[in-house]
Amino acid sequence: MQLTYTPEQQAFRAEIRAWMEANVPKEPLVTLECREGYDQHVAWERTLASGNWGMVTWPEAYGGRGLDLIQWLIFEEEYFRAGGPNRANQNGIFLLGPTIMEFGTEEQKQRFLTPMAKGEVIWAQAWSEPGAGSDMAAISSKAVRDGDHYVITGQKTWSSRAAFADWGFGIFRTDPDSKRHKGLTFILFDLNSPGITRRPIRQLHGDTGFAELFFDEVRVPVENCLAGEGEGWNVAMATAGFERGLMLRSPGRFQATAKRLVDLYRQHEAEASPAAREAVMQAWMAAQAYAYNTYAVAAKIMAGGKIGAEASLNKIFWSELDRSMHRTAMQLLGAHAELKRFDDGSVNQWLEGYIFSLSGPIYAGSNEVQRNITAERLLGLPRVGAG
Amino acid sequence: MNMLFTEDQLTLAETVRDYLAGTHGPEVLRRLDADGNRDPAIWQGLVDMGLTGLLVPEAQGGLGLGLVDAALIAAECGRACLAEPLVDTAFVGVPWLVAQGKTDGLGEIVAGTRKVALSHQINPWVADGAGEALTSVDPLRHLSVHIERSRDTSAPGPSTSLGTSDEGDDHLLNLGALMSAAQLVGLADAMLSQAVEYAKIRTQFGQPIGAFQGLKHQLASCSVAIEFAKPVVWRAAQALADGLESAGVHISHAKVAATDAAMLTAETAIQTHGAMGYTYEVDLHFWMKRSWALAGAWGSRAFHLRRVDEAVLGGSLPIGPEHTFA
Repeated sequence: MQLTYTPEQQAFRAEIRAWMEANVPKEPLVTLECREGYDQHVAWERTLASGNWGMVTWPEAYGGRGLDLIQWLIFEEEYFRAGGPNRANQNGIFLLGPTIMEFGTEEQKQRFLTPMAKGEVIWAQAWSEPGAGSDMAAISSKAVRDGDHYVITGQKTWSSRAAFADWGFGIFRTDPDSKRHKGLTFILFDLNSPGITRRPIRQLHGDTGFAELFFDEVRVPVENCLAGEGEGWNVAMATAGFERGLMLRSPGRFQATAKRLVDLYRQHEAEASPAAREAVMQAWMAAQAYAYNTYAVAAKIMAGGKIGAEASLNKIFWSELDRSMHRTAMQLLGAHAELKRFDDGSVNQWLEGYIFSLSGPIYAGSNEVQRNITAERLLGLPRVGAG
Repeated sequence: MNMLFTEDQLTLAETVRDYLAGTHGPEVLRRLDADGNRDPAIWQGLVDMGLTGLLVPEAQGGLGLGLVDAALIAAECGRACLAEPLVDTAFVGVPWLVAQGKTDGLGEIVAGTRKVALSHQINPWVADGAGEALTSVDPLRHLSVHIERSRDTSAPGPSTSLGTSDEGDDHLLNLGALMSAAQLVGLADAMLSQAVEYAKIRTQFGQPIGAFQGLKHQLASCSVAIEFAKPVVWRAAQALADGLESAGVHISHAKVAATDAAMLTAETAIQTHGAMGYTYEVDLHFWMKRSWALAGAWGSRAFHLRRVDEAVLGGSLPIGPEHTFA
């Protein structure tokens, strides 16, 4: 165990800090969940790419910098220190990208990774279906082989970014006689393909980020299949591991929120309850704990280890931490909590953040499912329900 | 930057775990509880493994290892609900003595012939000291109101005291709190395992109760609390080893996180055991009671939360994403 940064790592931190200070938009962008905000965020992805900061851990050949996970964490810390915007392409760079790196052919890496790192192609996920939410193995959307194409028919829903994004990925049933986890294939598709209809869904906050996708005999080339036909479940589980276990929510995000919460407490100290004060301390402590754990996970992966079912612990922890920090902020704000914009015209980021935080324990696999996974795979308790 | 234990550290911890699992099972706790009849071979085994000299410099006949190694072993002592004064003697007393330059008695400590009881103003009483006795809820924890100075005894039992440390000796407080936190995560691990094992074998409504989500989710929540307390403890140990000015804050953080994890797990574990958990027959109570005792020792939760509060809200500790290891 060695918990100090090398001079090279410190120099790298200084380099990112200087770039971020010069380039991060001074005013917060409009929310990513609407056309205007989406366009602003995509423009930011391209600015990041112009500095070659799109995805620092990827090999240079695929638009990255070939850096290790500690450098990635330093990048993320500086990113959130500077108040960097949400990443429009997070489904691509944090979920699909690592999955392609692990399962993709060389041709697929060449074709998909660089445009992803450069923000030229923005990705949506397409996991859930109306009948397959927490129970993802109940997927019924079909991809039927026809020559060198799959013909996709079915429906996906809650597809993040799908209202505006360029491409999507998900798993589809390629073996019509298969059940549950078998006979599924991981397929990448152009969201502008003929036969795809997007129906944006208005979310709790009133804006539109995710969408329903209807597939009506959509033809997708076979080379868009990731790993082998029928391998979809295993590939999807690896993607979920990246999502829950490491990349989707780096600690800097929560440490930045905890710091803002400390500042908010100072502003409201006179009227705050002792319980709120303790909740603020808990926020700082939990965000730090999350950071230490992430450094440990990164070190483990760098030493050749893999992310296993403990990714579920991670997902439970960050999602409930985020909700609790924002709940505390809403309490501190009191009567001001309901305002969408404060008296000075600034957006009430705490309200937006609180509403968004309510989705955390639901997306990327509900926390009830994560607790089942924890109990069954980490603790070894008996399984229930359909396997 | 590398937040991983070395192979050597993990191997040593595993060796200690196996040794304690083999020689210091619940039957030992029960026997001690029943007649106080201590098996000196257990202490001797710890001595033979070099654990009493773990933090003693090599020049004084010890292994010369560090606080992170010691914290890992302290967690194993918690896991076994160890009823020998190894942690106080070797992982709190020794590094304090070394820092004070009081190296005269280290040879006896390494040899296992001198045990150490610790007195500090944060603790209203002394564990394993000699003096007017108090009764702890933990039947294997011997408390006394005051201690005699320099009382040499041979095993079994207490012990040579360090004497009362200087008022407000933060180093001793930090060592004591850190090693309590490490024991608490080990205790919590053990209580969770006991609950899980019981939930696998106890059947009701025709299936193991561990198949019910009502229990699964509670036990999973314990796992979350424990696994996110551990890295805080290791980080705190490294901070103290590195001599960071902020080490005390991180140790307080560790004590709060480990206490919360252990208290949650204790309550969940007894609930999992149902009425069995409320009996003296089931082993769980030893671990719960040790957890309750350590939760209050070396600074209460309120004390440690206040130390975090003073640093974070007081502004002496830099916070934010770029200050993870400040």
